[in-house]
Amino acid sequence: MKAIILAAGRGTRMRPFTTTVAKPMIPLFHTPVMELLVELLARHNVRQIMVNTSYLAPGIEGYFRDGAHFGVEMAYSFEGRKSADQFIDEPLGSAGALRKIQTHSGFFDETFMVMCGDAVIDLDLSALLDFHRRQGATVTVALKEVPADQVSNYGIAVLDEHQRITSFQEKPAAHEAKSLLANTGIYIFEPSVIDLIPPVGAYDIGSQLFPRLVESGAGMYGVALPFQWLDIGKLPDYYQVMRQALCGEVHGVQLPGHSIRPGIHCGLNVSIDLEACEIHPPVYIGGSSTIEPGCRIIGPALIGPGCIIESGALVEESMIFDYTRIGALASIRNMIVSGDYCVDSTGLVIDLQEAKLDGVITDARTNLDLEPNTSRELLELLADWGA
Amino acid sequence: MQFVEDQVADVTILTPQFTWLDASNVPQFKEAIQPHLAQRLRVIIDLTPVEFMDSSGLGAMLSVLKRVDAGNGELKLCGMSRKVRALFELVRMHRIFEIYNDRQEAVKSFEGVMEASE
Repeated sequence: MKAIILAAGRGTRMRPFTTTVAKPMIPLFHTPVMELLVELLARHNVRQIMVNTSYLAPGIEGYFRDGAHFGVEMAYSFEGRKSADQFIDEPLGSAGALRKIQTHSGFFDETFMVMCGDAVIDLDLSALLDFHRRQGATVTVALKEVPADQVSNYGIAVLDEHQRITSFQEKPAAHEAKSLLANTGIYIFEPSVIDLIPPVGAYDIGSQLFPRLVESGAGMYGVALPFQWLDIGKLPDYYQVMRQALCGEVHGVQLPGHSIRPGIHCGLNVSIDLEACEIHPPVYIGGSSTIEPGCRIIGPALIGPGCIIESGALVEESMIFDYTRIGALASIRNMIVSGDYCVDSTGLVIDLQEAKLDGVITDARTNLDLEPNTSRELLELLADWGA
Repeated sequence: MQFVEDQVADVTILTPQFTWLDASNVPQFKEAIQPHLAQRLRVIIDLTPVEFMDSSGLGAMLSVLKRVDAGNGELKLCGMSRKVRALFELVRMHRIFEIYNDRQEAVKSFEGVMEASE
C-alpha cells in the first residue's frame, strides 16, 4: 500500500512556532505530529510514503530521511527551488502535489492514502480501506461529526443514503450547514482521480478537485468511523492538544520519561527536590532540567529538556519548551513558552525580545552576567515591592 | 506625550494619548504625568489607547504607583488590552495594581464616589 503525506503548507496560523519548525514537525512531547502519522500508516501496512515538501523542507527530510528508521520507505517531492543558498518555496497545492509525483514517476499505480501532515489521529485505516473497496469508490473521504457551532471551521460533506457525497460546503454558517460531517483531510484515492487535475498551476484537493469530482459523477464516498481527530491548525489548538497529551487523553501518546511520583515524569539528569517545591501532576520534566527549590509547577504542565525554573517562579497549566529559563519573578499561566515567544491559550502572542523581558524569561544557556539585561530596572523595582 | 484629564467627582481619570510605552518614550512619560498627579488623591489611568509596553514601560507604571502611594493617594488602572494585561501578569504586576475592565468599574470602586457623582 502507498500513501502521500501533505507537508508543504506554510502553517501561517501557527506562527510564530512555524517560523522555524515546519508544521508537521511540531512535537507532542518529543515526537513530531507527522511521525505519529507515519507510525499509524506503518501499522496499517502502508510501506511506501511520498511526502511533498516546500516550506522548511530540510527539517522534515532530515528527520525522516529514507524512512528506514520507521519501518517504511519514504521520499520527498520538493516544491520550490534553491537560489543563492536560499530555498524559495513554490507549493503546488495538495492536488498539484499528486500530479507532480505522478508525472515524475507514475508512483500512484494502485489505491493510495492521502493525509494532511498536521493532525493527530488514530483512525482505523484498514477499516477505511475496507469501506472504500466495498463501495467500489474512486475517492473515500474520512468524515468526523463536529458540533453544530463549529461547522463554520470546516469543509462539510453532504451524503446520500448510500454514503455517496452529493455536495460540499466550504465553511458554512451554522444555520446553512446541510450536515455536521467535516472533511478531516484523510482520503483514499484511486489513481484515475489524478487525471482530473489540470496539468499546470497550483490546485487544491478540498476546494477544487472534490467539487469537480462531485460534478463528474465519480464514485465519491464519505464515512464517519469513530476515531480521535485532533487538528492542529491554529495556536489555541496546539495548546489544547498538549494539555490533552499531558492528561493522557491523546490515544497512543503517553507521558515520556520515568515516573518519580504518580503523574510526575522526568527525563534523565533532572535536578529536583520534590520536598522543596510544589508540584501538582500531571507534569513532565525533560532531561537535564533544573527545578529550583521554592518554585511552583501546577499541571498539566510540561517543562522541556534543559530548562531552569528558578526559585519563586510559577508555571501553571503551561508548556515551557527546550532550554528556557523561567525567572524567579515570572508567573506563567495557560501559556506555551517557546524561544522568544509566549503564546497564551487563546493564541495571543508576546514577543519577549520586543517586550525586553529577558531577565524574566530567557534562554537557559545564556550567561546573564555577561549579557545586557534590559529588564534589570523592572526586576529591581519589583523586588523592592516584594512581588 | 499627553494625557487627557477627566474628573468624576474627586476622581481624576488620565487617558494617555499614545499607543505604546517603551524605553524610547518612558522619560517623556514620567515627566508629562507629573503635573497630572500633583494634589490628586484618587487617580485612574485608562490604558485603552495603549497597545504595548516593554519592561521599561512596566517599570514606569510602578514608579507612578510608588509616587501616588507616597502621597497617600490611590491609583487604579483600567482599559488594558489583552496584551498589556498578559505582560502585567507575566511579572505579577496584576497583583500589585488594582485593575478594572473599564473606567466606570474603576470609578465605582472608589468608596463614596457613586453618591458624590449621582
